[in-house]
Amino acid sequence: MTQDNYILRIENLEKSFGDKKVLRGVNLNVPPKKVFGFVGKNGAGKTTTMKLVLGLMTANTGEIFVNGEKVTYGNTKTNRFIGYLPDVPEYYSFMTPKEYLSFCGEITKMDRKEIRTRSEELLKLVGLGEEKHRIKGFSRGMKQRLGIAQALLNRPKLLICDEPTSALDPLGRKEILDILVAAKEETTILFSTHILSDVEHICDEMALLNEGKIIMQGSIDEVKSKRRGNALEIQLERKEDSDSLYRFICEKTKAQKAGSAGKTERNGSNNIILKEASLLPYTLNFIADNNIPFIKIEKQESTLEDIFLEAIK
Amino acid sequence: MTAFIKKECMELTRTGKLLILGIIFIFFGILNPAMAKLTPWLYEMLSDQFADQGLVIGEVTVTALTSWTQFFKNAPMVLIVTILLFSGLFTNEYQKGTLVQIVTKGLSRNKIFFSKLLTVYGAWTLLYLVYTGITLGYTVYFWGNDGVTNLAFGIFMYWLFGIFTMSTLVLFSALCDNSGQVLLGTGVIFFAFILLGYIPSIKNIIPSRLMDGLTLSTEGAVPSDFTEALLCTFILIAFCDIIGVLVFTRRKL
Repeated sequence: MTQDNYILRIENLEKSFGDKKVLRGVNLNVPPKKVFGFVGKNGAGKTTTMKLVLGLMTANTGEIFVNGEKVTYGNTKTNRFIGYLPDVPEYYSFMTPKEYLSFCGEITKMDRKEIRTRSEELLKLVGLGEEKHRIKGFSRGMKQRLGIAQALLNRPKLLICDEPTSALDPLGRKEILDILVAAKEETTILFSTHILSDVEHICDEMALLNEGKIIMQGSIDEVKSKRRGNALEIQLERKEDSDSLYRFICEKTKAQKAGSAGKTERNGSNNIILKEASLLPYTLNFIADNNIPFIKIEKQESTLEDIFLEAIK
Repeated sequence: MTAFIKKECMELTRTGKLLILGIIFIFFGILNPAMAKLTPWLYEMLSDQFADQGLVIGEVTVTALTSWTQFFKNAPMVLIVTILLFSGLFTNEYQKGTLVQIVTKGLSRNKIFFSKLLTVYGAWTLLYLVYTGITLGYTVYFWGNDGVTNLAFGIFMYWLFGIFTMSTLVLFSALCDNSGQVLLGTGVIFFAFILLGYIPSIKNIIPSRLMDGLTLSTEGAVPSDFTEALLCTFILIAFCDIIGVLVFTRRKL
């Protein structure tokens, strides 16, 4: 992929507030038509990066390109490619959702007919189609959903969502994630979060930001495979079988070499975790020889959470 | 830009601001001739009291000029009310973060700035017209308009002084983060010019001179006496607007 094919390209971005360095050389490439998870703990610099992309702040050094055009501070032209959903979206509370969308449409110079059809379509998508009340009394979830509708209104090439699910209840979160998955058909989504299960659910690619640097980037599978463990989990039906198997493996490992403690551990009364796959043949033999009924033997996948925790250590 | 002005107008009407301002301007518009009309009666009421103190009040004659004197006396009041109600014009949006989404939609900051500026100019103009119209109607009805010279010019000058004040309000709105600071800044400028008006060497060239429209009728002043003040005000308006837009395009939202 050549450089201009990326919808968003960030090069060596640095930003400090006073003597506090928030970003220390961020490099990031977001390919088109993907849901891109931008992960990092609170205070890692996610919002700062997004605000820099939107031209709402000036960077100390580095460059940002949206759809091949350079971002400048203040009146940036690149914002016409972008739809933005802030972490806590605020609106003119004296308007109804429909009026707000039509106002947004007018300032982005959409034509009247397009505004009408597109607002109806989007309000239906986010479940606010029948809402006739003013925004004043909206719940946080409703505001978040209206936020997605306004961000998608002028069919942006890049949708930037700043922690869209962080403050919502599980149902609200699911609704937002479903809407984002639906929106993926027409745009690229850059989605910042610290909720890793959300990333696993909807993202194609991700980048992990820690202490102002991207420390990991790639497709979800790539990231996971970087730390694919060898551990195996064996679940037996009876506790006494699991006790005898555990003793057997412990003896076996002691016989193999001294100091190999910690290669096996118990997880609950019927589960045994083999940390080395080399122990599997002996284990299977033991199970077969003793006719031990078992529930499952499976390879343990490392979750994004493990990767995240290990990476930011 | 029209969309943003439309939004500002919708905000003025739906939040009730225009209604409050309308009521106040209408009230003062009526108050001016009413006060003039009531003056003889007030004096009569108090004449006994004055007589006890040895003061004798002759017959009080009320003319159109009495009403217009009230008009220029109350004009600072309506101007201050306008400043108060528009002090959050920008700062409310900074605090809520509503402008961020508008800017990220690609509407240029210049357009936002000038839309707001035009809205506040428009509101002042409209309300001032209502204030003037009501006073004018009643005054002509009761007394005719004799003895008042260059009235339109005097009224125009006060309007322009209002426009200048609105420009300082918008400049401070671009500079400050909350409405308290905006009020403080605008208030300081407003009263500073009034105080400067007491210094004879500069009183004729600063904007506060435009508040003296009544002297056209009472002290035989002529429009050309105000040329320097008008020129100075136009320059200051341009200065406020230019600095305002420059600050606004660079400020953090």
